[in-house]
Amino acid sequence: MTAYIVRRLFATLPVMAVVAVFVFFLVRFAPGDPAAIIAGEDATADAIAAVRAKLGLDRPMLEQFVIWTLHLLQGDLGVSIFSDLPVSRLIEQRLEPTVALTFSTLFVAVALAIPIGVIAAWKARKLVDRLAMAFAVLGFAMPVFVLAYVLIWLFSVKWGVLPVQGYSPISQGLWPFLEKLILPSVALGVTYMALIARITRASMLEVLAQDYIRTANSKGLATDRVLLLHALKNAAVPIVTVIGIGIALLISGVVITETVFNIPGLGRLTVDAVLKRDYPIVQGLILVFAAGKVLVNLAIDISYAFLDPRIRY
Amino acid sequence: MSVDAVPVLQVRDLRTYFNTLDGVVRAVDGVTFDVGRGETLGIVGESGCGKSVTALSILRLIPPETGRIVGGSIRFDGRELVGLDEAEMKSLRGHRISMIFQEPMTSLNPVLTVGTQIAENVVRHLGVSWRQGLDRAREMLELVRIADAARRLDEYPHQLSGGMRQRVMIAIALSCEPRVLIADEPTTALDVTIQAQILDLMLELKEKLGTAIVLITHDLGVIAETAERVVVMYAGRKVEEASVSSLFAQPMHPYTRGLMRAIPRLDIEADTAGRRPRLQEIPGLVPILTRPIPGCAFADRCGFATDRCRAERPPSVEVRPGHEVACWETARVAEAA
Repeated sequence: MTAYIVRRLFATLPVMAVVAVFVFFLVRFAPGDPAAIIAGEDATADAIAAVRAKLGLDRPMLEQFVIWTLHLLQGDLGVSIFSDLPVSRLIEQRLEPTVALTFSTLFVAVALAIPIGVIAAWKARKLVDRLAMAFAVLGFAMPVFVLAYVLIWLFSVKWGVLPVQGYSPISQGLWPFLEKLILPSVALGVTYMALIARITRASMLEVLAQDYIRTANSKGLATDRVLLLHALKNAAVPIVTVIGIGIALLISGVVITETVFNIPGLGRLTVDAVLKRDYPIVQGLILVFAAGKVLVNLAIDISYAFLDPRIRY
Repeated sequence: MSVDAVPVLQVRDLRTYFNTLDGVVRAVDGVTFDVGRGETLGIVGESGCGKSVTALSILRLIPPETGRIVGGSIRFDGRELVGLDEAEMKSLRGHRISMIFQEPMTSLNPVLTVGTQIAENVVRHLGVSWRQGLDRAREMLELVRIADAARRLDEYPHQLSGGMRQRVMIAIALSCEPRVLIADEPTTALDVTIQAQILDLMLELKEKLGTAIVLITHDLGVIAETAERVVVMYAGRKVEEASVSSLFAQPMHPYTRGLMRAIPRLDIEADTAGRRPRLQEIPGLVPILTRPIPGCAFADRCGFATDRCRAERPPSVEVRPGHEVACWETARVAEAA
């Protein structure tokens, strides 16, 4: 297993290299020029050129790429064009809110989806199942920003039980931290919950028809043991896979949610950097997202071996 | 009547129907039999005759969304199981009445260890600790003669052969020393040498634990070797019941006779031209069970059938001590033999 993990980690290097090349050229081919933005609206062509030269953007693209790559190999993501701060520090500052939001969303989604999916499968074609699946379809169809504003209106404006927006780092106390995460996590988690609940139901239905479930019932085992151990463990591989795919979806969802709830996370940083054509930041962020995605995939693959003993690496 | 003579299981006029898109299937349509303490009863019949449904009905494991027991009675130790509440039923399953299934390859949970699958049954019903459950599991594996039992406890079903998996199923089923073991085609999926080993094992453990066995099979050979008494089923009904010796010596129902003639025989010499007699099949097809059959279910395929056979359902009548047959034309059939 360890050998497999090491092998997989090495295999991520070419993936990251491809991402690096792709993102570097993509941001440069996109229309817009950071030098023009810095120089201001009324700047002359000379002024813009001067800024461009100062930033090193006048050099041949290939040369810029080599310089960036050499720095990257030393773990240096470069410096922001606008703020002159190191990209790695900017990302570090914004990492906590995004990671917190991602995990709290994941928690909300999974904690709701799995019980809903299991109960729906157990009571398949009965009223509970139909209600659960109607709820799932509704949740899946609801855009994050609509639900977010509805939740803010209800919980913050009307009832005043939860803060409207903002973020409080965990270092400033657990409750302020959690309190501000609840609405964004629910808003972001509902879509995702719907997806996991549907997959859980489908996967459980298939498993519940298997011979070994009949065997488990013939032993007179308690219903919860049959459902949660005998069936759910067998149904887990597709569920975990969807949770993994969902984490990728979450990253794009986080951008909207962070904007709506005014959370200073990576999503906001990304949007701002893209709008200003702050190349080093965009490049750095995409690499971080890609690395995150690759690690999640690896974690999912490793989890298969724990869920199903027939899978060995 | 002494306590010992009271049957451990009494099935009376059991009827289990399924709702399908084509209508109501009368999978089990009035079946009656007893199983004595420590006895081995064979139930034989072809695919779809209702023998497996009978077994699942006894354990009340008919999936409620498709089928249900619509009538009759199942008494276990004098206690009525039809209508018994689910919690009490659960405490009987795997404990007093247990079951092994046809497909050892798919009947064990692939993601749980063998030890877990045996121990959970013991822990569930005998209220012992998990550790004691695992000790019992190891004992059971030794009892079903799986070598290196302690190591096997931590293995998963895919690491075992088909024969070994069926041994594990037997270990689970017998782990709480049940009064009745229902074995639904336990050896059908296994190759012949393993079949004999598994049957021998079941009989040996039955002697040791005093468990009664209901052995369901389509294989008259298995019945002849294992059972003491036989119920022959056809189209959801019992057509004949007798001791094994009586049934094989003098089968009374035309269907049973047809079955016996359909067994390939190696002891018949070829004639001078090198031909052997053709294997005799039973003409016709099994009736469609969605249509009510007013008379004898076998009438359409039977050479002895009369108008009465088609119109009136024959009752099960004792023609010799311990030998019952449901046929209007018993006398003619007997003469024809």
